[in-house]
Amino acid sequence: MIHFENAAPVKLKGVGNGFWVTLDPSLPEDLLITEIDKLFKKLRHLAVNANVVIDMGDARGHETLFSFIKTRLIEKYEVGRVTTPPEKQSAPTQRIRQRDLFRGWNHHRSDVLMLRGRIRSGQKIDTRKHVVVFGDVNPGAEILAGGDVIILGKLSGKVHAGNPKSETAIVFALVFDPTSIKIGQITAAGSEKISHTMPEFACVKNGSILVQDYMKTNPFKKMPWPEAV
Amino acid sequence: MEGKIIVVTSGKGGVGKTTATSCIGAALALEGNRVAIVDMDIGLRNLDVVMGLENRIVFNIVDVVQGRCKVEQAAIRDRRIENLFLIPASQSDNKDVLTTAGVERVAKQLRSQFDFIIMDSPAGIERGFENSVVSADDALVICTPDVSAVRDADRVIGLLYARSLTPKLIVNRIEPARVVRGEMLSHEDVLEVLSIDLVGLVPMDEKVLISSNTGTPLVLQKDSKAGTAFRQIARRLNGESDLPVEMPVYKTSMWHKISKTFGLKQ
Repeated sequence: MIHFENAAPVKLKGVGNGFWVTLDPSLPEDLLITEIDKLFKKLRHLAVNANVVIDMGDARGHETLFSFIKTRLIEKYEVGRVTTPPEKQSAPTQRIRQRDLFRGWNHHRSDVLMLRGRIRSGQKIDTRKHVVVFGDVNPGAEILAGGDVIILGKLSGKVHAGNPKSETAIVFALVFDPTSIKIGQITAAGSEKISHTMPEFACVKNGSILVQDYMKTNPFKKMPWPEAV
Repeated sequence: MEGKIIVVTSGKGGVGKTTATSCIGAALALEGNRVAIVDMDIGLRNLDVVMGLENRIVFNIVDVVQGRCKVEQAAIRDRRIENLFLIPASQSDNKDVLTTAGVERVAKQLRSQFDFIIMDSPAGIERGFENSVVSADDALVICTPDVSAVRDADRVIGLLYARSLTPKLIVNRIEPARVVRGEMLSHEDVLEVLSIDLVGLVPMDEKVLISSNTGTPLVLQKDSKAGTAFRQIARRLNGESDLPVEMPVYKTSMWHKISKTFGLKQ
């Protein structure tokens, strides 16, 4: 079995225009010097004028060891420059909590099925996405959506939003007169009242479906910023 | 020039497909066209009765499709209207006896012999409907101002579009008085849901029942409101597409108008 922790006390690695020497300052000085000598002897002329970085991990408290190795390397092997590893960047600058309102949705792939035209009786739109229809949904037509359902026209058919279990889904229509509505697992029959001509939406509130005037009680009116769905 | 096959369909039964077929066929023949009316309602033959030709049937459309006779042998000539022919349905078979390929073959022969071929589709959207629309060039959807008829017509319109046919609408049995009273859908309500081209509005007319039972063509009766509407529809189908569609109006009595003026009645 290989024990990586018991690897050589001094390691040498070629970096850019020089060498990177990693050593453990807790080991006896003699051992370290012997190991360094072994490595630099092999390098021979390659060490001449090279830049050497002595990495002792946390170098604080080992300045004498560093200057000793430095002098030795310069004198014995004629290396160019001996330094400690460059200081790592200071503590990361504090991230400013901020939303990018202009590009926030650039990488967001919205799952929306957008349709134009009239959904007629007997036709069924079945999707896991949100559904937007530019047109009417006739009586006898059916829409099954995983998310929200938005009808830019008259809704007279049957709608199941948030299929199968999402109760946060909404159903919106410019003229809201559905046969029946289901959001998540909650069902409501269409009302027999004279249909209004203002835009309305249905959502789940306290375990039942509530239909409200969209312009008066827009549920997204108070959101601090637009959010991609 | 090749003839044109027009299918008359509705989805729902009892909305006036057969009456419309016979009236439009007769009116097109009166306009000088050579017209064949084909009853595709295999097993529930009606068109022959409505046209008063039931006692002259020898062969039917099933015989033609299955090659037991020629088109000329099955086509019954109408005695009152020149150039009007009926190819009756079979009363003893069912809808599965015809194949779409067979119907298409016969349709080709019919196109070469007639200017207009009007096909009376059975109610429903199954095999009989398939056979009726398979070779159609045009489709007429008949709808009455009832919620159920509108829903079925809507379904049929979707199916016709799926077959690359652009259906045209006839709203049948409009009762202007009941529309005014709010007891019945208006033709605008029907059009709002179906949103296809309107080719005619036919008012409710009790003469239709009498004419169907006696087998006399409605379009020959000059005082029939429905007959007049069907003649207008035939003219539109015959190329006069800019002929305006007349709206059936509710004629109120003089006393009603006077009362309304003085605010006594709504």
